[in-house]
Amino acid sequence: MKRALGPALLVVALLLYPFLDRALGFQTVHAVSDGMIYVLLALGLNIVVGYAGLLDLGYAAFFAIGAYAMALLNSPVLGSPLYGHAWSFWLCIWIAAAVSALLGVAIGAPTLRVRGDYLAIITLGFGEIIPVAIRNLGDITIDIGGWRLVERLNLTGGENGVNPVGRPYLPGVPFETDPTPWYFLILIIGAASLWAMNRLRDSRLGRAWMAIREDETAADCTGVNPISTKLLAFALGASFSGFAGSVYAAKLTAITPGAFEFQVSIMLLCMVVLGGAGSLRGVILGGMLITIFDRVVLSQSTSLVRWLGRTTGVPLLASLDLTLWRWFFFGLGLVLVMLLRPQGLAGRRRGATTLAPAEVEPVAAEPSAPPRVEAIPEWLRERVASTSAGPILEVRGLTKRFGGVVALNEVDLVVPRGAIIGLIGPNGAGKTTFFNAVTGLVRADSGRVAFEGASLVGLRPNAIVARGIARTFQSIRLFPEMTVLENVLVGEHCRLRATVYGAVRRPPSVRAEEHRARERGRALLAFVGLGGKEDDRARNLPYGDQRRLEIARALATEPKVLLLDEPTAGMNPRETETLTDLIGLLRRELALSVLLIEHDMEVVMRISDRITVLDYGTRIAEGTPAEIQRHPRVIEAYLGTGYEQELAGRDAPR
Amino acid sequence: MNWWEVLVQQTINGLTRGAVFALIAMGYTMVYGIIELINFAHGDVFMLGLFISLFWFTLLGVTKTLSLAGLVTLLPLVFVLTMLTTAALNVAIDRVAYRPLRRSPRLAPLITAIGVSFMLENVALLWKGPAPIAYPDVFPSVDILREWVGVDSAIFVTTKDVLVIAATIPLMIALHYFVTRTRWGKAMRATAQDRETAQAMGIDVERTILVTFFVGGALAGAAGLIQGMYYNIGMWWMGYQAGLRAFTAAVLGGIGSMGGAALGGLVIGFLSAWSDQYISARWTNAIVFSILILVLVFRPHGLLGERAVDKA
Repeated sequence: MKRALGPALLVVALLLYPFLDRALGFQTVHAVSDGMIYVLLALGLNIVVGYAGLLDLGYAAFFAIGAYAMALLNSPVLGSPLYGHAWSFWLCIWIAAAVSALLGVAIGAPTLRVRGDYLAIITLGFGEIIPVAIRNLGDITIDIGGWRLVERLNLTGGENGVNPVGRPYLPGVPFETDPTPWYFLILIIGAASLWAMNRLRDSRLGRAWMAIREDETAADCTGVNPISTKLLAFALGASFSGFAGSVYAAKLTAITPGAFEFQVSIMLLCMVVLGGAGSLRGVILGGMLITIFDRVVLSQSTSLVRWLGRTTGVPLLASLDLTLWRWFFFGLGLVLVMLLRPQGLAGRRRGATTLAPAEVEPVAAEPSAPPRVEAIPEWLRERVASTSAGPILEVRGLTKRFGGVVALNEVDLVVPRGAIIGLIGPNGAGKTTFFNAVTGLVRADSGRVAFEGASLVGLRPNAIVARGIARTFQSIRLFPEMTVLENVLVGEHCRLRATVYGAVRRPPSVRAEEHRARERGRALLAFVGLGGKEDDRARNLPYGDQRRLEIARALATEPKVLLLDEPTAGMNPRETETLTDLIGLLRRELALSVLLIEHDMEVVMRISDRITVLDYGTRIAEGTPAEIQRHPRVIEAYLGTGYEQELAGRDAPR
Repeated sequence: MNWWEVLVQQTINGLTRGAVFALIAMGYTMVYGIIELINFAHGDVFMLGLFISLFWFTLLGVTKTLSLAGLVTLLPLVFVLTMLTTAALNVAIDRVAYRPLRRSPRLAPLITAIGVSFMLENVALLWKGPAPIAYPDVFPSVDILREWVGVDSAIFVTTKDVLVIAATIPLMIALHYFVTRTRWGKAMRATAQDRETAQAMGIDVERTILVTFFVGGALAGAAGLIQGMYYNIGMWWMGYQAGLRAFTAAVLGGIGSMGGAALGGLVIGFLSAWSDQYISARWTNAIVFSILILVLVFRPHGLLGERAVDKA
């Protein structure tokens, strides 16, 4: 009851506000409605910046496109080819959103290849180009050798903009004279957008956005397609600005290119950053604070300072106009927020826990229970088990050069079904490069990689994960700001089917799928010994738990082959033992094939069926553990001459 | 003017523009090379450089064209004063806005850089007002071809064009010498390649970054002074545009590469001058930004830069 009271009061206040305003004669409804448009824009930007972590410095371009789409379709005066066809506002608003989304994809597509800060500059470039184009497309004359192809064509209204823009029509609703219907129109659009964004965040797509934001490479290797995920962020982020832009144009009944300059993008970014990127509540708060600051605080404090100046007789103060300092304060705000509270006003403080678990001695951590056969999730048993014959992974002549260095030289390796294959060798032998080449992270120069007989060459990492090859990383790469359960759910991403529409509408099939995914995730976490930690943030887990979470995330992709890159590195003997048991169990019970890079020789020799040894990118030996231990070249290159005695000495007392 | 005279004239214009872009681009490229930050405020340091040089000229009582004695004494003095002021400003910006964020995600200092850029622009706006400011014609302008050579040509080359080149080239040579031959330059290159290893080798990384900002700021100040003397006008908003063009130049040349910044600056100078002439000045910005986008997408290591290896 108490929890529902706050929101209910808020709704009542929002509904009553315009009538109260009229009764009291404040006449603030127009200003508040304008502010709400900017908050809606900030919420759209939040999808791109906050959810997907793509810094967009040209978001005002989408705002412009939305506004111009509305204006051009809905204006009765423009000398463009669309002249005279003033379409209904209610139709145009959807077209505007669609056009903005399309432009979002068009702008997003070329940026997909570039890194974060370059991407920011590209969006800024588009943000500059769009207003220039709008200004110049008001008067197009194309003259080729005296032949006037196009003469004084007016597409956008040029510097003067479009005026008037038609208003929405609803029988009996005074959009022309009264600000109240506008307030409610924007409130409805805003509430619907908020509802959709909230649902998007807790969906398959929302998790994929956050995974990309946290670690794009790891997300790709967990089955998330970074390209389509980023494009969807751009498209959806832009579509909300399409709504905002079209309402803005119709409300003002006139637009000029000056309303969509770089400053607007930065003001919106201020709102997102101030409130806390990624947090809907934070962005609304940030938007409100900045709007109030801009429209109320600056002008009011100017009068106050002037009054002070007049009464104290200081002429400098008496003539001061703080509204001129507007952009200075926005700049100052950005700097201060980033320095003092980079997570924003409403954001969660990074790594704020009562006790940093990473600092706890690993041995002192609760002893992890040995993995049990019964704990293997039933669904995993069904999904992973494979029956067909033949080697599951076959690598032939894999070669990779980095400049003059041959990292992999004609390496052959076969993983039979249900086998554990060890891959060992000195540091720099090319083991991790081998993993990267098999999982598509680096493109091999030559060679063949076949999974169940089908070639994997040229596939992106996420496509390879979808085929059934999962991996972990030598340096753990989790999604640190996401919860333990969310990390595993990202692993399930490629096995889930929910679309954007499904994520927002949540039909029964999507609900069921989401429910099932969570159940599976919990079961998997319980199996690897992380039960009860589902809602902890991944970054706060102790080291050994992080390793196990990474394995759980890999298992969630329902792999047939698991590539483990030094899974026991940094673990204490007990954790190593548990993990070794776990790998053995997975193979025994699920017939999961495992390819294992490991420096702990005891582990490798104990659980591997066969071992491949790399040195300087070349395979120098292949055989059973017993053969490898006696192989002269392996002893020379890697194990060392002391190894045999050590092994003998260890065996003797037992 | 016939067509080739127009082309030559616009190429000369492009050269002088490009020289200024190149000086600004070098500051961008140095800072990016060493801390991988797009120092968004750099263009505004250039803009303030113009006003600061105006301030020094005014303080020294220079309001009209300098005599030969003035050119030899006062002009170098103003160069040094302006460069020192903007260098100190740039270092201060780093200390306040970037240094606390060295270990933060890469986008955090980029956001503060935008914030600083806005603050600097508005400081200039409030200092000088919204209208363009006239910059005194301190450097004598002589039509070289007509008055000195005696050729009656439509092409207009003045002593100011010579000044831009004559001031830029020594600065670039000095910078090249500094980066390749001095201890500080070596420390900068080492830090740019691998900060941790440089630190392990006993290089004071923070001090090296400070030197980088100092040198970059000084170059931006020199560019501002040259711009002021050449065009005799200054606007509070010019830093944003010039900064973006210079950044485009740095990226085009290959960010992190000094020679690339110089080359990129010249290319952008030529392209913008030709675009003004042959397409339309209204479209020049869109064209420059299209180049920026195309380079970032298809050749992110630029013309001279080395292919960046993703440090996974």
